[in-house]
Amino acid sequence: MDKTSHPYIPTLLDQLNEGEISRRDFLRKSTLLGLSAGAAYAMAGIIDPATQARAGDLPKGGNLRIGMRCMEIKDPHLADFAEKSNVIRQVCEYLTFTDRNNITHPYLLEKWDVSDDLKTWTLHIRKDVKWRDGRALNADDVVWNLKRVSDPKVGSSVLGLFTGYLVEEYDTGEKDDKGNPKKSSRLWSDKAIEKVDDSTVRLNLFSPQIAVAEHLFHYPMFILDPKDNGAFGPSANGTGPFEMVEYTVGKGAKYKARADYWGGAAHLDTFEFVDLGDNPGAGIAAMASKQVDGLSEADAVQINSMKAFPHVSVHKVETTQTIVMRMHPDVEQFKDKRVRQAMRHALDRDKIIQTVLLGAGTPAEDHHVAPSHPEYAALPKWPRDVEKAKKLMADAGHADGFELDLVTRPDPIWELNTTQAMAEQLKDIGIKANIKSLPSAQYWEVWTSAPFSLTAWGHRPLAIMTLGLAYRSNAAWNESHFSNAEFDKLLTQAEGILDPKERSKVMEKIELIMQDEGPIVQPFWRIFSTVMDKKVQGFELHPSQYIFAKDYAVASA
Amino acid sequence: MAIFVAKRLAMMLLTMVAASFLVFAVCEFTPGSVARKSLGPFATQEQVDFLTKKLRADDPLLVRYGRWAGVLLGIIPDPLQDPSTGLNFKDPRGAQYFGNFGYSTLNKLPVNDVIWNRLGNTAILAGLAFLLIVPLSIVFGILSGLKEGGVLDRLLSVICITFTSIPEFASGVFLVTLFVILWPVLPGTSPLDTEGGWSVPSQLVLPVAVLVIYDFGYVARMIRVSMIGVMEKPFIRTAVLKGMSTRQVVIGHALRNAMIAPFTVLLLQINFLISGVVVTELVFAYPGFGRLLLDASLFGDIATIEAATLITVAIAVTTQFVGDLGYMLLDPRIRLR
Repeated sequence: MDKTSHPYIPTLLDQLNEGEISRRDFLRKSTLLGLSAGAAYAMAGIIDPATQARAGDLPKGGNLRIGMRCMEIKDPHLADFAEKSNVIRQVCEYLTFTDRNNITHPYLLEKWDVSDDLKTWTLHIRKDVKWRDGRALNADDVVWNLKRVSDPKVGSSVLGLFTGYLVEEYDTGEKDDKGNPKKSSRLWSDKAIEKVDDSTVRLNLFSPQIAVAEHLFHYPMFILDPKDNGAFGPSANGTGPFEMVEYTVGKGAKYKARADYWGGAAHLDTFEFVDLGDNPGAGIAAMASKQVDGLSEADAVQINSMKAFPHVSVHKVETTQTIVMRMHPDVEQFKDKRVRQAMRHALDRDKIIQTVLLGAGTPAEDHHVAPSHPEYAALPKWPRDVEKAKKLMADAGHADGFELDLVTRPDPIWELNTTQAMAEQLKDIGIKANIKSLPSAQYWEVWTSAPFSLTAWGHRPLAIMTLGLAYRSNAAWNESHFSNAEFDKLLTQAEGILDPKERSKVMEKIELIMQDEGPIVQPFWRIFSTVMDKKVQGFELHPSQYIFAKDYAVASA
Repeated sequence: MAIFVAKRLAMMLLTMVAASFLVFAVCEFTPGSVARKSLGPFATQEQVDFLTKKLRADDPLLVRYGRWAGVLLGIIPDPLQDPSTGLNFKDPRGAQYFGNFGYSTLNKLPVNDVIWNRLGNTAILAGLAFLLIVPLSIVFGILSGLKEGGVLDRLLSVICITFTSIPEFASGVFLVTLFVILWPVLPGTSPLDTEGGWSVPSQLVLPVAVLVIYDFGYVARMIRVSMIGVMEKPFIRTAVLKGMSTRQVVIGHALRNAMIAPFTVLLLQINFLISGVVVTELVFAYPGFGRLLLDASLFGDIATIEAATLITVAIAVTTQFVGDLGYMLLDPRIRLR
C-alpha cells in the first residue's frame, strides 16, 4: 500500500481480517477508494477475475460469431440499449469497468483518488493507451467526452446520473405553453470537470457521491475521439481491441483485432455480431445449425429448448435486475400504507419465479436492495399470508377490495407474464387489477405518471444508485411519487458512509421504511442467462449483458 | 395503348398521394414520439424536447407532409441534413435530388441506403417462391378440377387445404424442428452470409418452402374452381364428343379459359409475397423488406414507412397493369377502349 492510498483502507483491512466485513465488501470499498483492483483482490486473498482470463493459455486466432440485435449506432453517447453499447464496446472503451461481482476496476484509468468528503475525484489516465490512429489518449479527450454527455442538447442518459453532483438543474427564466417555468441542466461550475495535466482530470462535485466510478461505466459513457465529433461507424477511431470493418443495421457487425492494442492483442482474429431479429426461435435455430457460436441473451424458455444440444453450454449470473409493481401513494386506493403492506403479504414469490422465470430468479423483499449488493442488510422474509393481508385491507377500509387499471408492457414477455401472475395473486385479497398492456414506446411516455404500473429496473452494482434515482423525493426517475423525509435523510447519510458495517445499519432502517410504507411490491431478482458453443473459451457472462470480445477465444475444432 | 398506359400511370400517382397521406395521418395517431424512442426512457424531458425540435417533429401535420413530398420530389433540400442541426445526417447523394426518401430516424441512415438492399433480398425470396407456386398450383388445380369429386380431386384438395391452413410461423417452426434439429441438413436461419458455414442457397430452402406451402394450396383451389366451371361449358362437351383426347381438350380448350380468373389471383400473390413475408422473415431472421417495415412501423420511422408504402403501391399497380395485358392475351374478346 503506498502513501497516497485513502486513509480509510487500513481500517477496512482490519475489518476484513476480523471478519466484520465480507471479502466482497472489502473489494468493493477499497477499489472504490482508489486501491487498484489487483491489489485489493490480493489483499483479500482471492484471484482477480480480470487477470485470471489473461493468465490462462487461451487459444489464439479464429472467428467468433454472437447473435444479437444490431440497431443504429450513430452516436455512442446516446446508446440506450445494452445491445447498442455492445456493438461500440469492442472499439471504444470506458474509464472504469464493473465486473460480474459488482467490483469496479480502473480501465482507461490507471487509478482514481477520492477526497475524504467524497467531493473531489481525481482520475489518473493510463499513459500507454493509444488511439487506433496512433495518437496517445490524453486528458483533453476525457474532458471533452465528460462535457459532451453533460450537455442536454446531446441527449445522453449519462446526464441523468450526473445530475445532483456534477450537473444542476436551473430555471431558464422562460415559460412553457402551460406557463410552468422551463428547466434546463448544466454543469454546476466551470471547474466541475477540470484538466489538471495531460493525464489527470479532476471532478469537483457540489455534493458527495460514492458511485462516481460506477457511473463512469454507465453504458453510453464511452471515451470517443473528439475528432469524430460523437459520430460512430466502421471508420470511427477508438482505443479498444478491435476495429469495426463493416456494419449493416439489422444484419450484423464485423470486427478485426488490432495488433497494437494497449492491453495486448485480443485472442480472436475476427469477431462478429449477427442480427437474428426479435423472434426467440431464430436464436435457437441459429445455435442448432451452428450459424452462431453464442447469443448475447437467452431466456429460460430458449435455454430449455437448447439444453439438449450437445455442443451448447449454458451460462448464468445473478443480477440486480428486477421488476417492481409500484403504486402512487397519493391515489385514493393506495393512500393507506396498510393497503401497500397487504399487497406485499399477498405474494407467493417462489410460485411467481417458477411460473414466470422457470426458476431463474431469487425472491426479493420489497425494498429494492439485493442480497448481492454490498450494502444489503438481511431482514426477516415476508411469506404469503392471505389472512393477514385481508385483515390489513379491512383495517384500511377496503374490506371489499377495489378495482384499478394496471399499466404494463408486452415485451419482453416475462414482464407481462409477471404482471399476470401478480394480478392473479392480488385477486385473493380483493384487488382486481385490470392489466393495460401498452406498446413499449407508449409505455415509456406514461411510466412515471400512471398511478399503478410495473417497471423493470436494470442491473446496478450499488443499491443506493437505484434508491437515489427511483425513490428519493422528486428524483428524476421517481416513478412512484414516493416522498419520505426520513428516507431521504437516511439515504443521503448512507451515500456518505464508507464503513460497510455502519452503512448497512443505515440500510436496514431504509429497508424497513420501504417494507413498512414504501410504494413497491417486488417479486424477484432475475438470474440472467445465455448460451455459448462449448468451443468458446474465456467467456464470463456479465450481469448487464455486456460483451467483451477481447477476453474470449475459440478452440479450433 | 398510349392512353391506356397514361391512365394507369395517373391512377398510380393518385393512389400514391392518397396512400402516402393516409400513412402520415395514421402515424400521427400512433403512440410515442420518435424523439423519446430515439433517446430511450431515461432521457430527461428537456433532452426529448431538444431532439423533437431538431427533427422538426413538432410542426403541424400538413407542413411535415408538404416538406416530405418536397424532399421526395427534389424541390427542396432535406432540412435534417443541414449540418447546423447537429444531427450528423449525411446522404452521399446530396440533400436535394428526385427520389430522396429522406432520413430514417430508426436506422439513422438515408432510407435509400437501406431499403433497396432489403427489397432485393425479399425479391429473391419472393421470386423463388413464385417460381414454385405457379407451376405447382396450376398442376394441382387442373388435376383436381378435371373431375370434380373424384378420388384425385379429394386427395389433392385435402393436401391443399391442410397446407393453406397451417400458418407460416407454425410450418416454419415445424420445418426447423425436422430439418435443423432432428435431421440437421439445413441451416435454421438465413442471414445471407456464408461465415456461418452454410451456403446462401441452402439458407433459402426453408423460407421458400414455408412460403410455397402456405400459398400454393390457396392458388390451386382458385384454379380448381375455375377449371370446374370451364369443364362444364358446352364447348368442352362438344370437344369431347367430337373425339378429342382429354389431353387435347385440357391444353387446347380448357386451360386458357380457366386461367383468366386465377391469373389475377396469381398476380396478387406477388404483392403478398413482397409485403406479406414479415412472418417468414422473422422466423428465419431473413434480412428482408418485411422485417424492415415491421421495425420501422413499431418505431414510427415515417420516412421508411412512406418509402415502403410507395414501393408497394408501385408494385401493386405494375402487377395490375401486367394483369390487364395478360387478359388481352388470354381472351381476345377483351379490347382496349
